[in-house]
Formats: sequence, C-alpha cells, structure tokens
Amino acid sequence: MADLLCSDAAVRSADALLRANGGRAVLLRLPAPAVAGNDGEQLGLATPQFQDVELAPAAFRGSGKTATLLISGSAVKALVGSLKFNSADVLFETAAGVVVDGVLYTILSSTATTADGATYLYSLDLLAPDR
Amino acid sequence: MQNAKDTFYELLRSRIAAANPERTIVLRGITRPGVLAEENELVSTVTIPDCFRLRWMDATVDSANAMPVAAMTCEVLYETAGTAGNAGMDRGRLLAVMDAELIGALNSAPQATIKQNFEALATGGSAVAMSTNIWWGDIVLGPLVVKADRVARAAKVTVMSCEEAGEL
Repeated sequence: MADLLCSDAAVRSADALLRANGGRAVLLRLPAPAVAGNDGEQLGLATPQFQDVELAPAAFRGSGKTATLLISGSAVKALVGSLKFNSADVLFETAAGVVVDGVLYTILSSTATTADGATYLYSLDLLAPDR
Repeated sequence: MQNAKDTFYELLRSRIAAANPERTIVLRGITRPGVLAEENELVSTVTIPDCFRLRWMDATVDSANAMPVAAMTCEVLYETAGTAGNAGMDRGRLLAVMDAELIGALNSAPQATIKQNFEALATGGSAVAMSTNIWWGDIVLGPLVVKADRVARAAKVTVMSCEEAGEL
C-alpha cells in the first residue's frame, strides 16, 4: 500500500511539474499497421497511413539539431494501453517521430524514470530534420 | 535499375524464407520473412537484429552495348545478440547460421532470375515478368564487427541487369 501511494505521488508530482514548467502538448506520429502479404509496402510502392496522437503534458527543450522532450509517464501509459502496445519502448520505436510546432523530430532514444516500479517520466532524445 | 533491385529483394526474401521459415521479423504489427530493404522502410534509429537488411550502394551503367548493362553493389547487413535463454553466449553461432543462410541463398545456382516489374502492385495489380534476367556474383562476407552485445557483419554482392527500353 505504501509503495502504491509513493509511486502514485511521483506520477502526480511529475505531471504537476511538467504543467508548471511550460507544460504543452506534442503529437506522436504513428504509422498504421502494415498490410499482411502486401509486397507493395515492402518495395516502397505504397506508404502507410499515419496517425498523430496527442501526448500531454510535455516539456520541450531544443537547441539546434538535437532536442530533449520530457513526457508525462501517465500520458504514455494511457497511450500504450489504448493502442495495445506491449511497452512504451515498442511505442517509441514504432513511431515515425514526434511533431512539435509542426516540425517532425526523429526519436533517437527514450529513457524511463521510475519510482517504486511506476514510470512517472519519459525523456526522449530527438533529432531535428535536415533543412 | 529499380526493377532489378526489386527483383533481387523478392528473390532473396523467398530463398531465405524457404531455407529458414523461422527467420521472421515483426514490423509494424506484421510478421514477415526476416529480409528488408532499408530504403523501403520508415527511417528508424532502431536496428532490428536477426534479419537481413539490404542497402544499395554503388551503381554503374555500361552503355557501350545496344542494351546498357547496370551493375549495382548491394550490401547485406545483419547482426544478432544471440538468444536470451543462453545469455547471448551463442551469438557467434547464430551469426554463423546467418552466414550460411546468406551464402546458401546467393551462391547456389541459378545465380540469375527473370527480372520483374512490380509497379502494378501500387494499384492492386500483379508483377509482370520482363524480357531479360538479373544475375549476380558470389557474396563476399566482410569482417565480424562487435557492437556492444551484438555481433554484426556486412556482406556485399554485385547485382547486374540489362536495362530494357524505358528503364533508364
């Protein structure tokens, strides 16, 4: 019980801090599932549909080519559950990138920060597109 | 040259799938044979292990003859971390298995196949056999490279084809 309360407090604190420090929304761009047996996609003749899903609260810090995005662990957890991904790692690996102010950033890596087994914050290293 | 690249990909994929049906990957929710052409997939910083990744490199066209001959270098990259159950201690053995699968797929006769045009797949049609073949030399394995907990290799093969009317 104590563990549950502690982890829940960390999640709430992280969300509050993200909102208080310029908390904003970003869009995770996800490709639609591939079509089974469709050689067209494997040959680059067809492209999948993309879906932008909102993640909030988040804090974005960009400096030239690279950027860091902090995202609420509870928001990611809800998305992983609703889209039926196995884990947040798979979610971020599947995503085509993160759209921030209309710019699509590539996800280089993701790091989860946990307290008592609950992830309260994800940090994404992002790469800006070539101009 | 695109038809030659597409035909080579399809041939390698089918030969690898025939040699080892368990060599599969899950990409965007679909299980498929463990062969992919990097340029045809979404840009990603994640390298999928235990599959063959095709990367097209150099290309030259000899226009001296009536029918130009294109030669393209295809790099085949693959890596493995071994199996988790064996704590990755079998990664060298699994890389050797991948070496054998690749050699078996590309160095066995016939080292040629009829070139196909896959453009119709974009509109729901079927591939169309063309008039000429593609052919390729023996695969050349590069040195083993250690990448953190994985062992990796890059192999190269030269793929050639006659360029038919309208292809260049």
